[in-house]
Amino acid sequence: MDLVAGRITSEERRPIRHVDLILLLVTAAIVVAGFFLLFSATKTTLIGLNEGEFARVQKQMVTAAIGLVLMLVVASFDYRFLKVYAGFIYAGMIVALILVRIPGIGSTPLGDATAAQRWFAFGGFQVTPSEFVKVGLIVMLAAVLSELRGPIPTLNDVLRVCGIAAIPMGLVFLQPDIGTTIVLVAILGGMLVVAGTRPRQLAALAVGAVVALALAFQLGVIKDYQLARLTGFLDPTADTRTTNYNRNQAEIAVGSGGVLGRGYGSGTQTNLDFVPEQHTDFIFTVAGEEFGFVGSAIFLSLYAILLWRAIRIAYLSKDPFGTYLATGVASMFAIQMFVNVGMVIGIMPITGIPLPFVSYGGSQMLANFIAIGILMNVHMRRFK
Amino acid sequence: MEKASSRLKILALLVAVMFAALGTRLWFLQVLASERFRTEADNNQTRVAESDALRGSIKTADGKTLVNNVPSLEVRVDKQTLEASGEADRVLLDLSDLLQIPVKDLRDSINDPRYYDYQPKPVAEFVKKNVALYLSERRDQFPGVEVVPASVRDYPQGREAAHILGYLGLIQKEQLADPQYRDYGQSDLVGRTGLELQYEKYLRGTKGQQKFIVNADGETIRALGEVPPRPGDDLHLAIDSGVQQAVEEELFRGLESARSQVDDAGGNGLLLKAPAGAAVVMDVKTGGVVAMASWPNYDPRWFVKGLTPGQSRYLFKSSQSPSVNRAIGLTYKPGSIFKPLVALAAVKEGVASLGTYYPCPAEWVAPGDTSGAVFTNWSATDLAPMTIAESLRTSCDTVYYQFGYDFWARWRPDSFGTNNEPFQRDLRQWGFGTPAEVDLPGSEAGVIPDAKFAADHPDTYPDGWVPGGDVLLAIGSGDTLVTPMQMASAYSALANGGHLCRPHVVDKIVDADKNVVKTVGGRCDAQLPYSQPELNSITSALETVTTSGTAASAFSGFPLSSYPVAGKTGTAERPPFQSTSWFASFAPANDPRYAVVVMVEQGGYGSQTAAPIARHIYEHLFGLGVSGNVYGGAQD
Repeated sequence: MDLVAGRITSEERRPIRHVDLILLLVTAAIVVAGFFLLFSATKTTLIGLNEGEFARVQKQMVTAAIGLVLMLVVASFDYRFLKVYAGFIYAGMIVALILVRIPGIGSTPLGDATAAQRWFAFGGFQVTPSEFVKVGLIVMLAAVLSELRGPIPTLNDVLRVCGIAAIPMGLVFLQPDIGTTIVLVAILGGMLVVAGTRPRQLAALAVGAVVALALAFQLGVIKDYQLARLTGFLDPTADTRTTNYNRNQAEIAVGSGGVLGRGYGSGTQTNLDFVPEQHTDFIFTVAGEEFGFVGSAIFLSLYAILLWRAIRIAYLSKDPFGTYLATGVASMFAIQMFVNVGMVIGIMPITGIPLPFVSYGGSQMLANFIAIGILMNVHMRRFK
Repeated sequence: MEKASSRLKILALLVAVMFAALGTRLWFLQVLASERFRTEADNNQTRVAESDALRGSIKTADGKTLVNNVPSLEVRVDKQTLEASGEADRVLLDLSDLLQIPVKDLRDSINDPRYYDYQPKPVAEFVKKNVALYLSERRDQFPGVEVVPASVRDYPQGREAAHILGYLGLIQKEQLADPQYRDYGQSDLVGRTGLELQYEKYLRGTKGQQKFIVNADGETIRALGEVPPRPGDDLHLAIDSGVQQAVEEELFRGLESARSQVDDAGGNGLLLKAPAGAAVVMDVKTGGVVAMASWPNYDPRWFVKGLTPGQSRYLFKSSQSPSVNRAIGLTYKPGSIFKPLVALAAVKEGVASLGTYYPCPAEWVAPGDTSGAVFTNWSATDLAPMTIAESLRTSCDTVYYQFGYDFWARWRPDSFGTNNEPFQRDLRQWGFGTPAEVDLPGSEAGVIPDAKFAADHPDTYPDGWVPGGDVLLAIGSGDTLVTPMQMASAYSALANGGHLCRPHVVDKIVDADKNVVKTVGGRCDAQLPYSQPELNSITSALETVTTSGTAASAFSGFPLSSYPVAGKTGTAERPPFQSTSWFASFAPANDPRYAVVVMVEQGGYGSQTAAPIARHIYEHLFGLGVSGNVYGGAQD
């Protein structure tokens, strides 16, 4: 009987039987919705450029397919191996962040030195290391936090964790990619909260972060144009042609959508290219303008479901490592979704954070699929 | 992981707050403030391109067209299309060859800031048909280049009535700021002078509008509704083209012949300069301006193609100011042509009477004046005492000096009374001292000097309003200034029983559907305070001027029995220049129809230059054979 029972139990515990279908479906829904938004955002531009109107959507679909494969690969092996290789992953990403700054190896858009993003070019593909750094940092911090001795981290532990996080953060900040830095800070914060860091220490860390930021401004590490974008949201009427042009056009787009939207493909702000960077950072304007409040709410609730699943997975995980991994991923998606949409609708500064799975761009798509793979992995192996 | 689960709740709570924030903001943007953003989005995407209305034409009373529009093939370049083609340099080079315009000029036209980027910009007009055809057939070789039919001002009668018509110019910056020009664009033409300016709002028409949907770069996506332009109204003038031509010709001819005559009035043996002059023919019953000429003149067609530097210098910088309409825009001393009006004032105010004989000595000194100021007559010998009628025929100055002095003597004891200047008031009633109310811009007021004028000009009147002021005013001299148009109005009133008319060049305004929009003429409602017998006696006196008086030689051989001319010569001294020659008149004296006023700058005696010109104008008006050059004689 035992043997039989044991066999049954082991059968029930097979990871494949515990795939989080809801997470899978909601991710698919976001990705597919993203294709539609991307098509609407790029159609007229592409026609104007004499390229096929599907050119960008097709490329995005190919990336998503690769991402799906990556997700399956990440979900297939036991996530605890990640803990073993966390150090290598961490070292690898530091090296990548240094290499990408060396001219000739790393590239910037059109050689624009003020560009935030830097990437490696492989043939026709561009790999932006800072996107993968988000996931890498989650793995590294989860590994460190899960090995702590006490029930709550000591001051030493907190400082050590912060030190580990500070290296990639600093490198990304110097790119200067402020958007990704914010995401990394949020990941660190979310994981420290769940690890049980004392509120006093958290507050001290927050103060330290503000001081560091102020120093960065003072020492001129942050360029004027970035400062202008960051502070622009405080006074949106200041200069409509430059800094706040994007913001104003984005708000007009979202606001003009009204309750029900102007209909798919009928948004004038979208079709007539009034919103700059619409296929990347400002893609949410398409949802706002063409599907209105109702469509936007439904669209955002997809992210809500995704985050609910991520936090639930953190809760269900059988070991702290899994909990921290899921917490990190949840923090990452939450901050990106919030800052991106908040930036589009004027409650957050413009920082260049993509909307997960929706903004046009290969690296963010792949990194996000890897993150979902990690979530799946933790969920599938919660009994094993 | 019990602890972790409670801390995960904190994370969940943070996420919930994020969604709440986003949801609230979306509710505000999309539900509460949606309408405002919808409006902004709509404004974002539409642009309006205006198409010009055909400007109204100007026609004369005898049906000739003075101003019209002609189609001009215009080459326009759409900058955006041209630049998007990537061949801008090549296209401009070819275009430069074809149109014979330097590439630099083409570039300047294309970058003309007066147009919006999405508007094609004109680079050449009056393009030859074959060139236009060549361009139209090779559209793919000339991306962004189009040939469009435009319209520009045309003057079928050439220079005729140029000063009356005025011309168009690009709207000025200050005008754009003026609410009166609210709906004008930066590249619009507006009337600058003459009728084009006076009747701008009628002539202009209403622009057509074409709405386009554009993208953020202003590129046209597609066209929406169109409102076609509405052509401007046509002006029908009181001007008679036949008379106008004749008057212009006679004025020109009169100046020419004056220049071969000796300046007898100056008495220094030099030839007359006669560089400029003006003539006005008015319908005495309506105040309609039948003809109005000013010399030197110009060709209004110059303005259509843009002035050359030489033309610009000639028009605006040369000493004779050919751009000015001398009939209304410059003031002159009237001299003796003022005497009939002075005589009427003297009679009305009791200074003189029509039956009394007045002495006409060679010299006149103000009673009791010991300063040595002597006022002379044109005659060096004393003439027998004469009536007012005779004083007009011979133009005796000394008779009028006394009238002027008598007016001054009346004024002095009552200089602060309300009715203290009857002389000036009576003269002003004829329209002097205020701009003629003619429907043309740029009318000058002129001056009837009085005590206040003296107070304002202490340099010339150190002792205030002295007798000399009224004495000189009595012969239309001193600081008295009038325009030929004011004189024509006054002599019309003299002719028509004392009705001061409002002079008008335009008779009626007719819209594109041939409906009369406005009738301008026909207002002679101001009645002057003179009795018909008084006016009649002045008229008979003025008739003798042409039969046996100062203008007798100018009118010798003129059929005065059939067409009696009542007129007055005037010779206004203007040292150091030669005298201004005047002739003011109306005819037929027994049934007046026309008033004719001729003024020639530095033309010598009135009888010498102005009167012969007037005579020839009457010959045209009454369909008589035009006589050859007439020597008008050397008389005031």
